[in-house]
Amino acid sequence: MLTYIIRRASHSLIALVGLLMLVFFLSRLTGDPASVLLPVDATAAQRIEFAARHGLDDSLIVQFGSYLKDLVQFDFGMSLRQQRGAMEPALEAFPHTLQLAFVTMLLALPLAVCLGALAANRPGSLFDRITTILTLAGASAPTFWIAVLAVLFFSLSLGWLPTSGTGTIAHWVLPVGVLMLRPVGLLAQVVRTTMVGAINSPYVKTAWAKGVPRSQILFVHVLRNSLLPLVSVAGDLTVSMVNGAVIVETIFGWPGIGALLLNAIIERDFAVVQACILLTACSIFILNIVIDLIYAFLDPRIRYS
Amino acid sequence: MFQKTMCMTLLAVAIGVPFMATAQESRSITVVVPEQPDSMEACNAATSNISRVLSRNVNESLTLIDPSNGEITPYLALSWERVSDLTWRFKLRENVKFHDGADFNADAVVFNIERLMNRNLDCSTRTVAFGGLDLTARSVDPTTVEISTGTASPIFPTLASTIKLVSPNTPVEITRTSIGTGPYQLDSWRQGENVQLKRFDGYWGDAPQVEKVTYVWRSESSIRAAMVAAGEADLSPYIARQDATNTETDTAYLNAETSNMRIDTTVAPLTDVRVRKALNLALDREALRTAIFGESTVPAVQLVTEAVLGYNPELKLWEYNPEEAKRLVAEAEADGVDVTVPMTIIARPNIYPNASEAVEALMAMWGEVGLTFTAQNFEIADWLKYLRKPFPENIGPNVQQEQHDNGKGDAIFTIYNKYHSQGTVSKLNDPKLDALIEKGQAATGEERKAAFQEVFRYLHEDIVADVPLFHMVGYARISSNIVWTPNLQTNNEINLSEITFKN
Repeated sequence: MLTYIIRRASHSLIALVGLLMLVFFLSRLTGDPASVLLPVDATAAQRIEFAARHGLDDSLIVQFGSYLKDLVQFDFGMSLRQQRGAMEPALEAFPHTLQLAFVTMLLALPLAVCLGALAANRPGSLFDRITTILTLAGASAPTFWIAVLAVLFFSLSLGWLPTSGTGTIAHWVLPVGVLMLRPVGLLAQVVRTTMVGAINSPYVKTAWAKGVPRSQILFVHVLRNSLLPLVSVAGDLTVSMVNGAVIVETIFGWPGIGALLLNAIIERDFAVVQACILLTACSIFILNIVIDLIYAFLDPRIRYS
Repeated sequence: MFQKTMCMTLLAVAIGVPFMATAQESRSITVVVPEQPDSMEACNAATSNISRVLSRNVNESLTLIDPSNGEITPYLALSWERVSDLTWRFKLRENVKFHDGADFNADAVVFNIERLMNRNLDCSTRTVAFGGLDLTARSVDPTTVEISTGTASPIFPTLASTIKLVSPNTPVEITRTSIGTGPYQLDSWRQGENVQLKRFDGYWGDAPQVEKVTYVWRSESSIRAAMVAAGEADLSPYIARQDATNTETDTAYLNAETSNMRIDTTVAPLTDVRVRKALNLALDREALRTAIFGESTVPAVQLVTEAVLGYNPELKLWEYNPEEAKRLVAEAEADGVDVTVPMTIIARPNIYPNASEAVEALMAMWGEVGLTFTAQNFEIADWLKYLRKPFPENIGPNVQQEQHDNGKGDAIFTIYNKYHSQGTVSKLNDPKLDALIEKGQAATGEERKAAFQEVFRYLHEDIVADVPLFHMVGYARISSNIVWTPNLQTNNEINLSEITFKN
C-alpha cells in the first residue's frame, strides 16, 4: 500500500508540475497585470516601471524559472493586488471551502442513498417517480437562480435565515442547502440506477428464494454492490467542490477559495491564481488517494500494489 | 421531557441567537459594499475598495474637494499659498492627533510625502495623481510645511486632497493597517469576512453619531439589497438599478461617471467631421435614457459634471435629428467619403449596467442613418489595449465604448489624457487644442476655468471627438433608521460622519 501511495505521489508530482506550467503560461496569455492593476491614465513610463519592479519585463521563461526556484523554497510569490504573500489569502480561504464541501457531502450522501434505495425498492412506484423528478430537477436547476430564490424566500419573505455571510449555524443553512441539491440529485440517481440493475441479479433472486428479509436484501446485499459507482461520482463531486463552489461562495459571501480564485483571475493577480491552484491540486491529489483506499475497502477484489 | 425541552432550547440558542445578534446594537451600523478591501494601505486609497473604508473615516488629507461644487476647502491644512512656481506652503491645523497618539504636524506631513514618493512602494495615489511630479517637503515650523512639486503644478492643493495621511510611526512598507487622524480608527479586520471601525474619541472635529461601523462585502447586488431589506445591514451605497425597487429606502444619485463613445478620428470615414456629427444627431438619447440607461441619468454633452472646474454650462445637448444626420452622411458621401465601409464598436459588456443593450441600440440608430456598425466585445485587458497608446494598427474605423470618472474636481484630469496629443488615451493631434489645454493647465482660478470651458466648447462644436451619452447614476439602499445622502464622491468614499440616526 505504501509503495502504491509513493508511486501515486510521484505521478501526481509530475502532473502537478505540468499543471503549474500550464497555469503559469496560460494565465500570462490573458493580459498584462500592469494594464489592469494600474489606472487607465497610467503613462507608458509608469507601466514600464511597474513591470520592472515586479519582474514582469523578463521573458516568460525567465519568470517561470524564478517561480520554480522560489517554489522549491516555499516562496509562492507576492499578490500584486493585496501586496502580501500569495499563499496567505489562499490558506485563509481554503478551510472555508473545505468545511463547506465536507459538510455538504456529509449531508448529501446519506440523503441520496436513502432516496435512491427507496426509489429502487419499487421502480415505477409513486415514490420512485416523485424522487426521480425532484432529484433530476435538483441536479439540473441553475445554482445561481436557486440561490437567489432561496435568499428571497427564506431570508426576505419568511425572515428565517440570514441572507449571507458566516458566523452562526444559521449562516450554513442556505449555502449548504443550495450546494446539496446537485449532489443529492446525481447521487440518488446513481444509487437508484445501480440498485435497480442489481436487484435483478441472480444472487438477489437467490436471496429472495431463501427468504432473506427485504430490508436486508436492499440495504446489505444490493446497496453494498452499488457503492463503487456511488463513491466514484461522490469523489468527483467532492473534488469539484474543493476546487471552490464559486457561485455559492460568491452569492452567499462565503470567503472560500472559489471566490478568491475568480477575483484573482479577473484582476490578473497571477501569484494568487497559482497559489490557489497549487493548494487545490495538492488537496485533490490527497482526496483521490483516499477515494482509491475507499475502493479497496469496499471491494476486496481491488488490490493496489 | 425536561431533557427534550433543554435540547430544543439549546438548539434554538445555537441557531437563532447568534443570528439575531447580527441585528445592530444601538449607534452601530453595517455597511455592505461590493468587494473587500485589497489592503488598508492609505497610499493605495486611490483604489476604490480601500478608499471606501479609509478616506475621510480613518485617514484625512490636507485639503478636501467639496462634492457639491468641486471647490477645494481646508481640512487638515487651514490655508495655503503658492510661494513660487514649484512650491506651495500649507498652514496646518493645530491640536490634531493620530490614533496612536502621535502629533499631526509639519514633520508628519514631510514623512507622508517621502513615503508616498518612495519608489519601492506600489502606491496607486502616486500613479494616479502625481505621475509627472517629484514631490519633496520641508518643515518650516511645527504648523507650516512647504511642498515642492518638481514641475509647476497650479492645482497642487486639489491634488493634495488625494494624499491620505498616516501616522509618522507607520513603517515605510505596504501595510495592512492604517493609523490616521480621522473620526474612526481601525478596530479589526477579519479576512474575507468584515472590517470594523470604532469612533476615535480624540478626534479634533465634531464626534460623529455612529459609534461602530462594520463593513461587509457581497459581490451580488441583489444580496446587498436583500441585506438592507432584511435588517442585516443599514446601508448599501451600490446596488443595481433592477434591485432599487423600494421607493422608501432606495435613492439614485449622480456618481461622477459619464458614459461615452470615443470616436477614432484618425480613420475614414470618421476623419470627416460631418460623419462624426451624424453619429451624435442619430441618437435618440431620450429613448436610450428611459429604456436602457435609467430615468435618473442625465444626458451628457461633455465628459465632466458641473461639480468639476472647467465644466461648460453653455454647451447645447445634441438634438435627435436623424434627417439632418442622413443629410450630413449624404453630403460627405457626395464629397467622396466612403460612408458604406463597415465600422466597429469596441465594446466592453460589463462596463456599466445594460452596456450590451446600449451597444445594440446605438448600432440600430446609426444603421438608420446609413452608418453600418458591428460590435466586438472585449474583456477588460484586451479592451484596454484599444483604449490606450500604443494603439493597435489596422483596426479600421471604430468607436470605443467607455466610461469616464472625474471626481477630482478639476477638468485637467479629463482633458489632458483624453484630448491632448500626448494624452495616454487620446486619438487627437490638434495643435490648437493642445495650446488651449496647455494654457488652462498653467492658469489658476477663473482664467483656468475659462480656458477649460473653451476646450470643451472646441471639442463639442468643432472637433466632435466623442458621442457623449449620459452622466451616470448609482443607486443606494438606506435603511429607514438612518439618514445619509450619497453624492458625487460616493463611488470612492463613504463619509461615515455624515450618517445620523432618526431616533
